[in-house]
Amino acid sequence: MKKKEARVITCIICPIGCKAKVTIKNGKISKIEDVECPRGEEYVAREIEAPVRDFFTTVRIKGANILVLPVRSTQPIPKDKMLDCALELANIVVDAPVEAGDVIVKNLLGLGVDIIATRDMDRAKER
Amino acid sequence: MAKRNVDIVVIGGGAAALAAAIKAKEKGIENIVILERSEELGGILPQCIHTGFGLSYFKENLTGPEYISRFIKKAQDLQIEYKPDTMVLEITPEKEITAVNSVDGLLTLQAKAIVLAMGCRERTRGMLGIAGTRPAGILTAGTAQRLMDIEGYMPGAKVVILGSGDIGLIMARRFAMEGAEVEAVVEILPYPSGLDRNLVQCLEDFNIPLLLQHTVTSIRGSDRVEAVTVAKVDASGKPVQDTERIIECDTLILSVGLIPENELSQTADIALDSATGGPIVNEYMETSVQGIFACGNVVHVYDLVDHVTQAGEFAGESAARYVLNQLPPLTRKITLKAGDNVRSIVPQIIGGEEPATLYLRVKKPMRDVKVTIGNLTIPKRVVKPPEMVVVNLTRQAIEKLEKRDELKVSIEEKAKQ
Repeated sequence: MKKKEARVITCIICPIGCKAKVTIKNGKISKIEDVECPRGEEYVAREIEAPVRDFFTTVRIKGANILVLPVRSTQPIPKDKMLDCALELANIVVDAPVEAGDVIVKNLLGLGVDIIATRDMDRAKER
Repeated sequence: MAKRNVDIVVIGGGAAALAAAIKAKEKGIENIVILERSEELGGILPQCIHTGFGLSYFKENLTGPEYISRFIKKAQDLQIEYKPDTMVLEITPEKEITAVNSVDGLLTLQAKAIVLAMGCRERTRGMLGIAGTRPAGILTAGTAQRLMDIEGYMPGAKVVILGSGDIGLIMARRFAMEGAEVEAVVEILPYPSGLDRNLVQCLEDFNIPLLLQHTVTSIRGSDRVEAVTVAKVDASGKPVQDTERIIECDTLILSVGLIPENELSQTADIALDSATGGPIVNEYMETSVQGIFACGNVVHVYDLVDHVTQAGEFAGESAARYVLNQLPPLTRKITLKAGDNVRSIVPQIIGGEEPATLYLRVKKPMRDVKVTIGNLTIPKRVVKPPEMVVVNLTRQAIEKLEKRDELKVSIEEKAKQ
């Protein structure tokens, strides 16, 4: 049985913000309308086929002046894996000091991306 | 108390301040001091852990902490002096600065030039006049962001967000990612106040409803927020009767606008613009008081930090030239006045001799428009309230520009062809 579906994707490549009309037949894109440029078409196709997102959150840190360390993924991750990744990182506790760029988790959930610290965090001075 | 002489004092330690101090140092000014109220440099960026910073300035996609650390490191490499935990109390028009901290006590600095870079503050519940009780659980978006991303606290589990500005949208995603339920983002205007990319990635991705032309009319709860009442509004923004509904929640996040923080500018008798809430500046980013410059969100609220950095560099360079006696006063002053669909313009005054960049805020979204400045017209594809409209007046354009004391800046639809 042939399944036809229409979706509207807002392009975020530039401020024009085209609202792309996408026709999907049997899970495959058959038509993309109302996009003004090739970069937009590429973005819209990726949003349908394999959307990815920048991923960033915090992890717990011990021995620093504050309780959390901001981190991000080295590459965007699949959109549908974001909550899994967030849950996985909720279990992580690191020790200060940390430098920006330090790898906190290698190959997170086998996705081929590392999680790195996005700021330096010194050890709190002993009192 | 001894008064210390300084070439340039920069007030604030965020993106605009660091860019200004670095640029001034690079232009040959040795004696610079940054005065920062917080315990660390960086301003708001250390708590902005999301990406999207630096796309235009560095051509890289950075998080807030990564973006600002590049400037903090540069300022440290250039050995620019800074005083954290330091509160400036007063600036005089003669450029004397009184500040206080726990190391120096009361501190008086006499500056040759000052760069104002105090940033902005969030509007709070008190400024909105929402009816109801005063329970815990009503926070501004920036406060929630600080609690979650610096202090490590989760401020709520069931959240309603009032206002669709970028920080509100980003906090909607942040709450959702941390396992909270985000019930709705409520926006009084008929269009969203945040950027498209945040609407898509912060709301659509998490199926968070955006209620346009709605507002929160009351807050319930005794110790903690228990619910808010949400209603439709009419074209004038007034709630419509019988459209109220109750949304249960334990937290109300306010993302309802930012206000440039200019108490200090007022002590120095600097003229402010009621449209921006910031100082009136000329094309050098110089305020109405000679030798006092301003940049960043203290002048008008930006949407991109990259533009803040550029403005900071520009103000820092102007301050350095002023100290070195290389900043000729403008021979002519053309005041730019907001016309159709223009809310505000920075700089408000240009000389009409040198190229300049204008930053405009529009009142409503429009497509296929022309920006007219006196006799000049510049086409633009789209203008939207959340996005600053940048107009570059090139040397060629400036030569053609009619030279009058006052010119109107308007945005109109292009005539249909």
